[in-house]
Amino acid sequence: MIYLPIAEMPVNVLLILLVSGGVGFVSGLVGVGGGFIMTPALMFMGVPAPVAVATGASQIAATSFSGIMTQTRRKSVDWRMGMLLSTGGIVGSASGVWLFERLLALGQLDLIVSLLYLLLLASVGFLMLRESYHHWRGREAQGVSILRRPIKTVAHTLPFRLRFPRSGLYISVIPPLVLGFGIGALAAIMGIGGGFILIPAMIYLLRMPTNVVIGTSLFQVLITASLIVVLQSAATQTVDLVLAGLLMLGGVIGAQMGVRLGAGLKGETVRGVLGALLLAASAKFLWDLVVPPAERYVLGGGLW
Amino acid sequence: MVKRLVLALFLLCSPAAAQAPADVADLPAGVAEESIVVSSDYRGSYVTVFGVNPDRRGRGDIVVVVRGPNESAVVMQKRRVFGLLVNGDPVRFSEAPSFFAVLSNRPLRSIASPQSIWRYQLDPAASAQLESSTGDTDPSAYRAALVRLRRAQGLYQEFASGATPDQRSGLTMYQGGLFRAVVRLPANAPIAQYHADTYLFRDGRLISAQRIPISIRRVGIERRIHDLATKFPFIYGLLTVMLALAAGWVAAFLFRRT
Repeated sequence: MIYLPIAEMPVNVLLILLVSGGVGFVSGLVGVGGGFIMTPALMFMGVPAPVAVATGASQIAATSFSGIMTQTRRKSVDWRMGMLLSTGGIVGSASGVWLFERLLALGQLDLIVSLLYLLLLASVGFLMLRESYHHWRGREAQGVSILRRPIKTVAHTLPFRLRFPRSGLYISVIPPLVLGFGIGALAAIMGIGGGFILIPAMIYLLRMPTNVVIGTSLFQVLITASLIVVLQSAATQTVDLVLAGLLMLGGVIGAQMGVRLGAGLKGETVRGVLGALLLAASAKFLWDLVVPPAERYVLGGGLW
Repeated sequence: MVKRLVLALFLLCSPAAAQAPADVADLPAGVAEESIVVSSDYRGSYVTVFGVNPDRRGRGDIVVVVRGPNESAVVMQKRRVFGLLVNGDPVRFSEAPSFFAVLSNRPLRSIASPQSIWRYQLDPAASAQLESSTGDTDPSAYRAALVRLRRAQGLYQEFASGATPDQRSGLTMYQGGLFRAVVRLPANAPIAQYHADTYLFRDGRLISAQRIPISIRRVGIERRIHDLATKFPFIYGLLTVMLALAAGWVAAFLFRRT
């Protein structure tokens, strides 16, 4: 047991290490920040929501940095695309931290967060499962479903086009900027890295090749998460250094193991597993939003 | 004298308690530890208040209240909007104790009248001050919910008997008018300036009272981290990010070979 100076509560060191290690493992395996599991898990352990959201961001920063080091050696980071996404992400996360404070003051933060989690996890999870299923079916039916997807998307028709040699793309800069902004804002409000939305968006919307998607998304996640840590520290003083240290320790070790294992796995398998995971998580949020609890009243407002 | 001044100041500052009789005497009482320190192994602590009933024949009842600082609080009700449960109908309390434990030698209702309980704020519901306007909503259910929710968190406690072998908290009376009150301060109780108030009631009337401050403060690394986070939040944030990058780099480096 160790007492957290900002959260003002004692936590079980071993439990925190186990949870962060597990989340880090999934994160390294599929290239997601893992915040969408970590943040609710911390809240479940009794860590106040603002502390969980803000401190989770520091763990996401550590995990994504260690992931990037590995991905860089494999030359699977599209730096130009990463910079564009991060530019949008910087503006987005600043707006997100501001909105976070507003919602907290209104007492509606948990409702908005639950709704966002429900919608995002369900839709992304469904998309990934379907894709994985089609891929699996397609292999037996001579890959018909793959070819049915449009080769060109809105990213190819908008103006201000730029060449991205690493990804082999020539697309408009607007979709990456808007995408980065949205992910940054969501990251600040929901305590997530945003990789689990970013990765499908990069594959389906920007049509980036799968091998650079993980490394590039990690880069954007790293920049946004680092900024959120600083902004939340300054604005709400909810970053707990001791908790952050524990999460990093578990997270980076888990992530390294995940990245190693992920290299030997097929893309569609990973996507199918992640899709099922997201659907399960969204069901939990739906349950909490619909099934009436025993206690009808809740304490709200204020930081805690 | 100083204690009496402190008590008088307390009675003046607290509007609900302002009508307390000016002639209440000091109740001889003290706390076992005037200062509780919070370090990295902090898991909550106990507050022990002891004192003596000055009445030679031991008449009267003792009430001990341990209070944390008052803070504003909001209680909301879950309502169904388009099938979804939404927090609505907020009721705001301008003042609600962040920690409140009341201990007595027998049930509080048989010691003091409801008026006295409200006047001296002897129960957590009585201590919660509503903000001036609550609109159309009836605040009583919210007041009860506030107490219920905080009680579930261990922040509001009520004991009407002595400590038992399985439970350290309680107000125990000894021979010669000596009493000892023990309260468990959970780890989630805020770190702040607390007060232990002791009251002597006889026939439902307040005879004497005493207020003793208890400070809870951080020490060592806990204090350094908290000070840095509140006084230099920007540097603190940068430090956290640097720690994150270092942790990520070390991990990537360590796992490079394998």
